Amino acid sequence: MRMKKLTLTLVAAAVAAVFAGCQATPAKQESAAASAEMSAAKMAMKPSGSPPLAPLGKAPIPPDNKLTPAKVELGKLLFFDPRIGGDASTGCSTCHEPEQGWAWAEDFSRGYPGTVHWRNSQSIINSAYYPRQFWAGSASSNEKQAKSAAKGGVAGNGEDDIMEARLALIPEYRKRFKEVFGTEWPIIDDVWHAISAFERTMNTTGKYEVPLDKYLKGDKSALSKQQVRGMALFNGKGGCINCHNGELTTDTDFHNIGVPPNKRWEEDGLAQITFRFEQYAKGQTEQGYRSAKSDWGFYYRSKNKWDKGKFRTAPLRYIAYTAPYMHNGVFYTLEEVIDFYNRGGFDEEGRTTLFPKNKSAMIKPLGLTDQEKEDLLAFLEAFSGPEITMEKPEQPPYAPLFSMAELKAAQEAK
Amino acid sequence: MGVRVTTGRTLLAAVVGFGVALSVQAAEYPNIGPLPQLKINKAKAELGKRLFFDKRLSGDAAVSCATCHVPEKGYAGKEALSPGYPGNGHFRNASSLINAAHRKVWNWDGRIGTNLNDMTREMLTEDYTMNMDMRIMQERVKQDPVYVKMFKDAGYGEPSNGSVRKAIPEYLKTLTSTNAPFDKGRMSASAKRGMKLFKGKAGCIRCHSGPMMTDQRAHNTGVPENFDVFMDPMNHQAFIAFTMFQGIPNYMNLKRDPGYFNVTLLEEDMGKFLTPSLRELKYSAPYMHNGMIKTLAGVVDFYNQGSGKDSNKSEMLKPLKLSGKEKKDLVAFLEALSGDKLTSDKHVWKQPYPSEYEAIANWTKVRN
Ligand code: HEC
Ligand code: HEC
Ligand code: HEC
Ligand code: HEC
Repeated sequence: MRMKKLTLTLVAAAVAAVFAGCQATPAKQESAAASAEMSAAKMAMKPSGSPPLAPLGKAPIPPDNKLTPAKVELGKLLFFDPRIGGDASTGCSTCHEPEQGWAWAEDFSRGYPGTVHWRNSQSIINSAYYPRQFWAGSASSNEKQAKSAAKGGVAGNGEDDIMEARLALIPEYRKRFKEVFGTEWPIIDDVWHAISAFERTMNTTGKYEVPLDKYLKGDKSALSKQQVRGMALFNGKGGCINCHNGELTTDTDFHNIGVPPNKRWEEDGLAQITFRFEQYAKGQTEQGYRSAKSDWGFYYRSKNKWDKGKFRTAPLRYIAYTAPYMHNGVFYTLEEVIDFYNRGGFDEEGRTTLFPKNKSAMIKPLGLTDQEKEDLLAFLEAFSGPEITMEKPEQPPYAPLFSMAELKAAQEAK
Repeated sequence: MGVRVTTGRTLLAAVVGFGVALSVQAAEYPNIGPLPQLKINKAKAELGKRLFFDKRLSGDAAVSCATCHVPEKGYAGKEALSPGYPGNGHFRNASSLINAAHRKVWNWDGRIGTNLNDMTREMLTEDYTMNMDMRIMQERVKQDPVYVKMFKDAGYGEPSNGSVRKAIPEYLKTLTSTNAPFDKGRMSASAKRGMKLFKGKAGCIRCHSGPMMTDQRAHNTGVPENFDVFMDPMNHQAFIAFTMFQGIPNYMNLKRDPGYFNVTLLEEDMGKFLTPSLRELKYSAPYMHNGMIKTLAGVVDFYNQGSGKDSNKSEMLKPLKLSGKEKKDLVAFLEALSGDKLTSDKHVWKQPYPSEYEAIANWTKVRN
């Protein structure tokens, strides 16, 4: 309960004062960190000299969370266990469903029961590589990401104490946590360690290597002629390489590419609720809360108005399995995505971002012919290899911690 | 920001203020007369009523206050141990809420000593009761046009989580004993004899005094533990989360409900619980903090044998040597403290809630 109670008390006060202009300190710290990132982001905006696409190497492993087979196995159990969450219904795998690209195949992710999410569920495949996680880059590691996912009101809605208590009553977990982390009882932070270890093994490497990477490593047969033509467009006329570049197929920076707001917010009451909640949760001002009609993206962290509508350049590996696309899932096919870019960042109805001033100068009508669009599409398919599937592990059962005899003895000793 | 953080321990101050002198003569105890009248704002209470029965006030929209505080049961729980929020159990009996507005200290262990607003917040946000992020709650409420109007009519303006926590306590004020034979002066001869025992030979008044029949202090009566708290992991996990949060040492190995100990962390308070009100007991069985006693006759038998076993047990509790007839009279008196059921639509919100949230029209044009 701790955190929720505390933040809630603050929120209660903030609401009572109807946002009396009091800015919580955590948000301030965040924006300081964010503005450091900003200058880095600006520097990386040069359209020329983008690092070329490169094959995916080994996932970085942080020194304070080494991978061991036992830890990965434990992380897998936890990833698939809905008891890591508020009402034991919604775990990581609930929204990162292996059969839906380890994501969720709707525009907005399904939410915690009684809610819907407000963003598209991202695939966890390759997430280990990204120094900034989430669509707007608000988490800096898998560990931090997992924690906020399990606790967020429209995601896991779990609290540390209850999740820790549950694990303590599941003998299999007690045994495994002790083996892996050496603690007598499972500790919640180690849950995030173990899940992150598992995620770091969920990559498009080895037998899941994508055709593009095979090609880049020298296997020229890995791409068709059409795909090679598409690659030229990607690197040239299409200008995709300006942002989708390097080993990760993303510059991991933030851009406004013109994605229009999801119309569901105009029609769906449940989505409207989450939309307003997120304005609070992301530390909006009163004015922002009242007026926001789309996801302001990176702005929530930097609080600079030129960041409204900016999102992290989405990585492109494994996207064959992760439709729909973009932070709000407005495009259901890669064809639509290509048409969107070809129109210079407009959908088929001519809609675009609510912050056109912030739109990247790199997003312009491309004048691609039908043949070129098909070639580009064929090339985008080269970013996905075999589907990564996995059998869901069985949930280890609960068992009472004490025997009846122990309880009776304690009663007698009172 | 003037935020009041109510940890259990702030209560200590509140409780220490209560009647310091403990004397044995009944005359010195506050009289067990009728309850004072509470002033109620109708529009606010009506709003509170709709909120109290609304499942959308819990995290996954599956439980309302009334799921655990059942009108038919005197707004107490149906079972010895309360159900929990989905995915959890509970480790205590759900208290009756009738007359809760007359108390100054709440929960079986007395960990909240401020007001019903804080009590409501705890129920809404606690992991194993409603697990509600109140920011989501507020936006849900704002999405329901019926609420928007009711909040306005009640003078709260735009719905907010702050006013939810004001309206529910206003509704709780309407849950008061009504037409109890004791208050109406219509007790049977047996109940009248029982009242005499209550104040005299049985010595109940030493703790159950005043109009609410409680000194609102903590005592150890030695009620045996309910082993289901520990044998059912759903309940045990809620218990662990609770004791962990309260900062109870060695909480993983704890095999008893610490009671008031969690407020003071003093060994002498281990196993003490707040004296409950004795009103409306006819509806609220089973009894005690863990529902271990099923009937009022059972409670009287329990006290008659000198209550339970505990090294901390109150000195006041000795075998009473009541005859069979005296025990019946005492039960008759306890029953005379119960009034009408509060189950009509005066107290219960019986209209359906919308099955989904209407979209706000013209969303892109109107302010949020
Ligand atoms: C209710 C659905 C839901 C649940 C439960 C959930 N996620 Fe997510 N996940 C999402 C959504 C939606 C996003 C994108 C959110 C955003 O950007 O704000 C996301 C993003 C992520 C990302 C970021 C990937 C990237 O490319 O940056 C990772 C990693 C992830 N989730 C892992 C987890 C883990 C681990 C858990 C369990 C502890 C979890 N998720 C639980 C829906 C969910
Ligand atoms: C100015 C930088 C930039 C350029 C140039 C760019 N993109 Fe993107 N791309 C992004 C950003 C940022 C996102 C995420 C936007 C969002 O979620 O709102 C994205 C998202 C995508 C996605 C969706 C991925 C997913 O998982 O949802 C695809 C596919 C994509 N881009 C392909 C392309 C192609 C093909 C090109 C060239 C025609 C291109 N991009 C050019 C920055 C860019
Ligand atoms: C999941 C079950 C559950 C739900 C839902 C629930 N309660 Fe409770 N409530 C309890 C239990 C159990 C207790 C006793 C807790 C204790 O003593 O530790 C309690 C105690 C109380 C008390 C203290 C009574 C007293 O006299 O000490 C009040 C007041 C109260 N609840 C009001 C509410 C309100 C208002 C709501 C809805 C906002 C609510 N409860 C929802 C189970 C529940
Ligand atoms: C020393 C103080 C004390 C005395 C004397 C005392 N009680 Fe109690 N009573 C309590 C406490 C404390 C509880 C709650 C115990 C628990 O929940 O574990 C309680 C609980 C009860 C309950 C259960 C109420 C409920 O809502 O569950 C009843 C009924 C009751 N007492 C009746 C009596 C009667 C009748 C007498 C006299 C024979 C009496 N009590 C004497 C302190 C006292």
